[in-house]
Amino acid sequence: MKVYDGSQTESPEQSTPERIKVGIAEYKVTTEPAVLTTSGLGSCIGIAVYDTRNTVAGLVHVMLPSAADIDGGNHAKFADTGIEALIEAMADAGASMEAMEAKIAGGSDMLDFSENGSSIGSRNAKKVRETLDEHDVPVVGEDLGGDHGRSVKLEADTGNFIVKSANTDSITL
Amino acid sequence: MPDVLIADDSEFMRNLLREILEEDHEIVGEVENGVEAVEVFKEEGPDLVMMDIVMPIRDGIEATDEIKSSNPDANVIMCTSVGQEEKMKEAVKAGADGYITKPFQKPSVMEAIEDVVPS
Amino acid sequence: MNVDIQSLGTFNQLAHEGAEQATQSMGQMTGIDAVVDVTKITLLDRADVGEELAGRDFVGVQFSFDGVLEGDTVLAFDVDSAGTITEEMMPGSSDDEAMARSGIEEIGNIMMSGFIDGWADYVGATIDHSPPEYIEESGGDVLPDAPENGDHQQVFVFKSEIEWIDESVNFYIYMLPEYESLTEMMVEHVDTDGDAIPIDKLQTFNEMTTSGTQKAADNVEMMTGIPTESEVTQISFAPIEDVPKQIGTDTFVGTVVEFTGTPSGYLMVLFDEISAINVAEAMMPIEMDSDELTDQHKAAIEELGNIMTSGFVDGWANVLQTSVEHTPPRVVHDMGRAIMDPLAAQVGQHQEHAFIIDSEMQTDDIEFKAEIHALPDEKELRAALDDLDVERATETGADVEQIFK
Repeated sequence: MKVYDGSQTESPEQSTPERIKVGIAEYKVTTEPAVLTTSGLGSCIGIAVYDTRNTVAGLVHVMLPSAADIDGGNHAKFADTGIEALIEAMADAGASMEAMEAKIAGGSDMLDFSENGSSIGSRNAKKVRETLDEHDVPVVGEDLGGDHGRSVKLEADTGNFIVKSANTDSITL
Repeated sequence: MPDVLIADDSEFMRNLLREILEEDHEIVGEVENGVEAVEVFKEEGPDLVMMDIVMPIRDGIEATDEIKSSNPDANVIMCTSVGQEEKMKEAVKAGADGYITKPFQKPSVMEAIEDVVPS
Repeated sequence: MNVDIQSLGTFNQLAHEGAEQATQSMGQMTGIDAVVDVTKITLLDRADVGEELAGRDFVGVQFSFDGVLEGDTVLAFDVDSAGTITEEMMPGSSDDEAMARSGIEEIGNIMMSGFIDGWADYVGATIDHSPPEYIEESGGDVLPDAPENGDHQQVFVFKSEIEWIDESVNFYIYMLPEYESLTEMMVEHVDTDGDAIPIDKLQTFNEMTTSGTQKAADNVEMMTGIPTESEVTQISFAPIEDVPKQIGTDTFVGTVVEFTGTPSGYLMVLFDEISAINVAEAMMPIEMDSDELTDQHKAAIEELGNIMTSGFVDGWANVLQTSVEHTPPRVVHDMGRAIMDPLAAQVGQHQEHAFIIDSEMQTDDIEFKAEIHALPDEKELRAALDDLDVERATETGADVEQIFK
């Protein structure tokens, strides 16, 4: 068994920050200088929110625009309820509403077979902007649309948001 | 030498068909959808159309239907990856004279053509 | 024998929570931070269970359980991660074989109790499990052998993949209930009749898909001259948000179509980049010998994807005596999960869970592997299963000669 005495608690190496993986329809919040990551964003959107004064940061990976369109399912699956849950969890973790900024990526139009109406990617993007706006969280960086997938990393302490695509170099928002 | 129109949205497949056919046939056109197939058919009046089914804008069955209604003597061979019985029946109804399923080998293409347009 | 979607969802949730409970127990004992990545229910041929473990060595523990539910569960760790775990529990123990083994047995025991208890609570009855049996095997052999004369060739398997946060090491929990006891339990727990799936026909559908995969593999062989074997075919059931995780994060090349009719949905044919180049070059009349994926490669893949798609869905249409239309293929070259993601989102607008039909084919001659994944609309799949005449299940082919007489 693991013995919970002083001898076991070696300090973790400071050089590599902790990596926190965020799955689809999940959100995570950290108050450590960690890196939050999520991968495989197609029409999904990754919304990174961080506090510009204190180290509180969160990332949510939403799949569909609005919880009102479908019953059931978890909050983090939808842009509206997912962002709300993220912001609340960050506030609970000590973030100040006034100091929050957001960066967003994803919402690709790839493989949209709908012949009329707008793609899920663009409807997701619209809902994300609306919801952030309702909560007065400014969007200070974005990489949306196009026809390719993305993976993202949020550095909790700097607010740097690194977006990577399969066929291009990564960009930092 | 019978002249042939090739209708297929896949460039790869058009090339493959051209290679098989060009020795003994004159290729009068290569088109990518059903609308173009009907247009070029009307302009060129080829002896034979090799017609794919799943194509954008207008599929091969509709195009065959229009070609055959305007010219019952036209010869159309469906050349498609679709191997569904209901689709084959639809093709017959539209007036198709033959049906080749992809992937095909050269002899089966030659045989189907010989059946429809005997040399 | 009908099972509703809701109860399939509940069972999946039970397995997921059981795996989370087990992972948490491990966390408490070792301080290792791990999360349950995916839990899914899969219906597949018993002989194919564990195919995805091939080529790796595992240690683990195996239990049998009985009561309202009968069968086996297995907890399988990569050899390396097993060492790390015992080391975390008792420093120095990984060098002492007997001690390491006892550590794994104990941790397995505690984890599996957590896994099983939730099921027992749900059905309000007891499920007993045997003492843990330590196993050290390669690949799928880590799982119990298939019974020689089982009534059902196909079985439901619950599989959870658990991922360590800081390392790329995974471990797995498999639960293989006896088909009869599981389906009886499922039928007993049907909540509504509205969305019931005839579970026996799901097996027939799986068999049809197996022959569709074989047809697709034959098509590849005809176009490339590469002898191609169809491998596993399976139907899985998972929450919609777990659907993209069915595909790896690597970059894939392939085609995607939307198909309409009974059933309708999306179908993708995917190759890893090396396989895509290899197979495309085998289709081309001229030597390319390129390491990079060019537009010519993509054009070849587009047509191959088209033909494989037809081979795959035609059998459904012929058995169901209907037609299944598909759009012209769209070529994709992107990270696997991002390809699946918009399709899952489209389907997810109407349903919370999804059935995913997966097939694989490969060849020994050159490096070549292809995957086919279909994501049918749940309602349409249900309609297709309702219409399915089990007697016609082998009528997947169409007779051109007969029709064009």
